[in-house]
Amino acid sequence: MTSRARVLTGFVAFGVALFFVPAITETFDLPRFYVIFLFTVFFWIAQASSWNVLTGFSGYFSFGQGAWYGIGVYTVAVLTGKHGWSFISALPVAGLLALIGGLALGFVVFRVRRLTGEIFALTTLAVAFVLASVARITSAIDGGTGVFMTGTPIPEFLGDFNTAMYRMTLVVMLLTVLAAYLTHDSRLGWGLFSIRDDEPVAGGLGVPVFRYKMTALGINAFFAGLMGGVWSLQLGFVTIEDVFNIRVPLFVILMSVLGGLSHWMGPVVGAVIIYTFSDRLNSAGLTDVNQIIIGSLLVILALAVREGIYPRMRERWVTTLVTFGGVIAVVNIFNLTESLITDFAFAMLATVLVLMIPDRLWTRIRGGNDGDDGRPTKERVGPLAEVET
Amino acid sequence: MDLLVQGIVTGVLIGGLYALMSLGISLSWGALKIINLAHFSFILLSAYLVYQLTVTFEVDPLLMTLVVVPAFFVVGVLTQMFFHWAKVDEFKSLIITFGIFIILQSLTQTIWSADFRRISSDLNVYGSGSIIIGGIALPTPVLLAFIVALAIAVVMSFVLGRTYFGKAVRAVAQDPEMARAYGVDTRRVAVILSGLSGAFSAMAGVFIAIGQAIFPGLAVSWFGVVFSVVILGGLGNTVGALTAGVIVGVAAGAAAVTWGPLAAPLVTFVILIAALLFRPEGLLTSRSVA
Repeated sequence: MTSRARVLTGFVAFGVALFFVPAITETFDLPRFYVIFLFTVFFWIAQASSWNVLTGFSGYFSFGQGAWYGIGVYTVAVLTGKHGWSFISALPVAGLLALIGGLALGFVVFRVRRLTGEIFALTTLAVAFVLASVARITSAIDGGTGVFMTGTPIPEFLGDFNTAMYRMTLVVMLLTVLAAYLTHDSRLGWGLFSIRDDEPVAGGLGVPVFRYKMTALGINAFFAGLMGGVWSLQLGFVTIEDVFNIRVPLFVILMSVLGGLSHWMGPVVGAVIIYTFSDRLNSAGLTDVNQIIIGSLLVILALAVREGIYPRMRERWVTTLVTFGGVIAVVNIFNLTESLITDFAFAMLATVLVLMIPDRLWTRIRGGNDGDDGRPTKERVGPLAEVET
Repeated sequence: MDLLVQGIVTGVLIGGLYALMSLGISLSWGALKIINLAHFSFILLSAYLVYQLTVTFEVDPLLMTLVVVPAFFVVGVLTQMFFHWAKVDEFKSLIITFGIFIILQSLTQTIWSADFRRISSDLNVYGSGSIIIGGIALPTPVLLAFIVALAIAVVMSFVLGRTYFGKAVRAVAQDPEMARAYGVDTRRVAVILSGLSGAFSAMAGVFIAIGQAIFPGLAVSWFGVVFSVVILGGLGNTVGALTAGVIVGVAAGAAAVTWGPLAAPLVTFVILIAALLFRPEGLLTSRSVA
């Protein structure tokens, strides 16, 4: 099997398995909360993965995730809530409008010749705020009163509300991650990475720099908007303050930085870990300090982990499995926590901490050999380590 | 007609405040290659400190300049030392200062809550006062801000253009390695410049505290204005920042008079886009530091 066939089979298997989770929770009478928890994780995976296609692959730092997400949310909210569209017909429009917004911004900013990266970052930071003020003064969109979504019917074949949300977020999430994977694993991906490493050289060697950057931004905005459209149902009552705030960009950045920016799996891993922590902090009543912790985490991670957790998970996969499984086992044997999610949170915390041990210290612990793949460590720190794919 | 003239005059004066708010980011971006989003929090924190100290000790709020400006000079110095120690590049500076911004933002909200705060008018004689010349009112807080911004722009432009320190800053902005090779103490230059950036931000905070009601969400609302001013003015260009501040201030003021105050951010953004399309290097490039 080629590597692509293997990954695609994995996708299908994973998708099918996850598809039956709501049915399983029903059969075994598990709390509905698990389903809600999972579809919120899916939401974040899609947001982080789509962000990473642009920022992780091409190196263009974007704070604009909230804007694309917000366009999606408001498109569905306005079309269904004010114009009586059906949800299914409004959803593609959400993705398309976000796509158009993204491309319009890219068209302006990507043509600036100097400091493009920095200017792009700062412009995207301003975009969400501008969209918020547009929505606030346009009564056809919001007008400062918010939009009610409660009357929007969900297609019946999707089941009850939570199951429907679960299925829709699952599908959009899988599509987004698939898009990220296919981008990563293609000519486009190589082009984007070369842009990240040295844009003038990439352009000089024939990479269609402008087109590739626009494509990456388009993928980012489209999937962010699509998931935003789905998420408008979960919000129910859509307000400017809830949608166009700094939370979405903050979380996707944190998730991707933790997971790792240069692999399509990085944001997936990061999203699962960060959302689980954040959810546990919230349920422990630490909402106030939550954002302070999240901010500090971002600073620490940006300083401490260069390449993210995911590459290290692959490198030290035995350690990862042992730590994760060990903590789960210990917590369950001694019955320390009340919720399955808390178990996972502890296991993830332990794993992340173990994986964050710096390489040099790690080699010393393992006696000069990194153990997992049997290769001597020195080989990996030389200049050739970077050529390795 | 009078309303329009009044709008333009107020816009010019507010432009001074915008320039003051943008100087810190513009300087550290232009010369140190660090985009310090934490400056937004510095401005906000400084405003809150002025508010808190004035209310607690019942003194003139302008006196608080003597406290917050040196304090934020030190903060700026420490920030730069931290960046040096952590070897932060531009990409990372965005992530890290964004994190710091989030932390300070939540801290502000935790300490002072999300409510509007305003120095009461018996303590704050400047807040509602204005000087009237020929039927046109010049509101004191923004008038003061404009004068200070003008003074800083002129002095900084002299310092950057004519002194040894200014030459060193420009050398560091152009090529830190070469500057070091020629004996410039780049670390010290960077630290001082970062301190000055912090001090300017604190100065902006003072005028915001005496001029308007403050709340944590303010910082986010400054993004658009400040970036427009920074990019239009040219990186590290203090006179450019003032010019751009005035342009943005007048445009936003005119929009506010014509279409209502909520239209101002939109006009600001249009200016930003126009600047990116036509003058991405800034209005007064030839005198730029970078």
